[in-house]
Amino acid sequence: MAATLLSKSERAYIQSSLKATPPLRADGRGLLDFRTVLLETGVAPLANGSARLNIGKMAREGGGGTEIVAAAKLEVEDVESGDGVDGGRVACSVTCSPAAYPHLSSNALDELQHDLSVILQQTIGHPSLHPRNLTIIPRKKSWLLNLDAVVLADAGNVVDALFMAARAALWDAKVPRTRAVQYRAPEALKSAKNDVPGAMDVDEGTSGFDTRDMARTAADFELPDYWDEGETLDGREKWPVCVTLNLLPPRHFLDATPAEEASVPQRLHLMFSFVPSAPPTLQAMRLLGSEELDLKDLKESIAFGEQYAKELFTALETKLREEDNRRNIKARDRFALMR
Amino acid sequence: MAQSNFDRRRINGPEESFQPTFEDDDDETRWKPGNPRRGRGARDIRPIFLTAGLINQANGSAYIETEKTKIACAVYGPRQSKSTTYNEKGRLNVEVKFSPFSCTRRRVPIRDAEDRSVAVQIQQALVPAVRLELLPKSTIDIFITIIENDGIEGCIAAGSVAASAALADAGIEMLGLVASCSAAVVGKEIWLDPTEEEGKASSGTLILAGMPALGTITSVWQSGSMTPADGIKCMEACQERYTDIHAVIAQSLLENAQNNT
Repeated sequence: MAATLLSKSERAYIQSSLKATPPLRADGRGLLDFRTVLLETGVAPLANGSARLNIGKMAREGGGGTEIVAAAKLEVEDVESGDGVDGGRVACSVTCSPAAYPHLSSNALDELQHDLSVILQQTIGHPSLHPRNLTIIPRKKSWLLNLDAVVLADAGNVVDALFMAARAALWDAKVPRTRAVQYRAPEALKSAKNDVPGAMDVDEGTSGFDTRDMARTAADFELPDYWDEGETLDGREKWPVCVTLNLLPPRHFLDATPAEEASVPQRLHLMFSFVPSAPPTLQAMRLLGSEELDLKDLKESIAFGEQYAKELFTALETKLREEDNRRNIKARDRFALMR
Repeated sequence: MAQSNFDRRRINGPEESFQPTFEDDDDETRWKPGNPRRGRGARDIRPIFLTAGLINQANGSAYIETEKTKIACAVYGPRQSKSTTYNEKGRLNVEVKFSPFSCTRRRVPIRDAEDRSVAVQIQQALVPAVRLELLPKSTIDIFITIIENDGIEGCIAAGSVAASAALADAGIEMLGLVASCSAAVVGKEIWLDPTEEEGKASSGTLILAGMPALGTITSVWQSGSMTPADGIKCMEACQERYTDIHAVIAQSLLENAQNNT
């Protein structure tokens, strides 16, 4: 994404080593190998769900790699008078830390931020993935799910990292349980009519100014249990994973470093959703770059992309369940031991 | 002071405004899933009206109209690049502006976030086709004004077509004319060129841009849920259709050239 400054000879060198037999990459990986991915959930205690992801951290050199922190936060919105939509809505945004892109001007950084936000919003905010438990009181109050991601460092393959971190944060997110509350006015005292001289003539019918009727339907909600974390966000199996194929016909490779990204003229982003009971669906596809492509090559790339995405999805699933285990079950056991 | 965005340069309307609702939105005549498409076949696109040479001041221009979508495009260039760093290849700069009256809800006159995403997609469709290596140190500016918008996918497709005609009108060298078509998956069918209503009812949309003369694809933008097989079917349908659109662009450029001589 960010333009690394590469000379023409460096570019040609990287391209020819990728096209050689066997293909060579600077860090010795195979064409389809990903760098080490480190994932941790629950990093932001104030958010409803959060995750921190790092691709390509070099343990010996103490740092590096693409680092993303994603957090899901729920806000209450008013459907009638505010921006709320009945059924809730999802808003995604990506912020690029200037520390990650020191060579970009603030305008260029804004544009990069905007482009990444659009990709995330159009895929995750699409109605087909909309979670169903975002309503609080039908037609009155709903949840706004804010998914914010921050790019702290960029060492290539930001889009894949963003989607993985977003998926992890959404997996981790818990929606607080709410209970609708309704007001009921006390029973009006029945007055003995016409018996007492000077008694007031009470109008029996409902007056237009009677606001007690309006308040009788559920108008507010409360949180039943303070310590209750809530239920998980609906549809967590549907969130997509992204795999970016860097195309250098006739080859393609995954997980590019910044130099490799700048040397390859074309990239294909594929976002797949793997629901266990249904066939895999393509949630988004973007072709970026200054070269053209044949439909036949595109079809092949989609087929390959599906395979790679499936492997990535399985690995991510395993890790997320492990994280769930670590934070909830083990913590509970440790707490029980301490009592 | 009013808390809303008080724009001093314009006469501000009321802070909150709502679109009027009409009584003739009859439930019976409204489209329901499972019904066939209204008004045209599933694979029919809306008729295109395209002329080049609309704006005399620009190097090249075009105006496209497809039923309710109306877009004007102007190309200025190649002109000298403002940046001092040497660029070996020329730059293609696309700017899109939605008129405030183009959508059902009024859009602010200030540049919006959605403007940029449309501009990025149109740029992606055009960049592989324009021979930028022949224009070092230059910039080509493409300004697209959307006068009426009926479906964002249709807008992007029509915008790419208009921009390609305008570039040809400006005499900028290209590898081929770029044509673009959008598709939507509605239920089990694939409908081409969806309007805004049809786009909302669909489960996924796809916009394909390419050069029919060379048989290659320059940009694919798909969002929404569809199986990869459906996605490929959409792309094949779009590719068939944009060959026809290419003929329309060529015809209108020919007429314009004949009218000028």
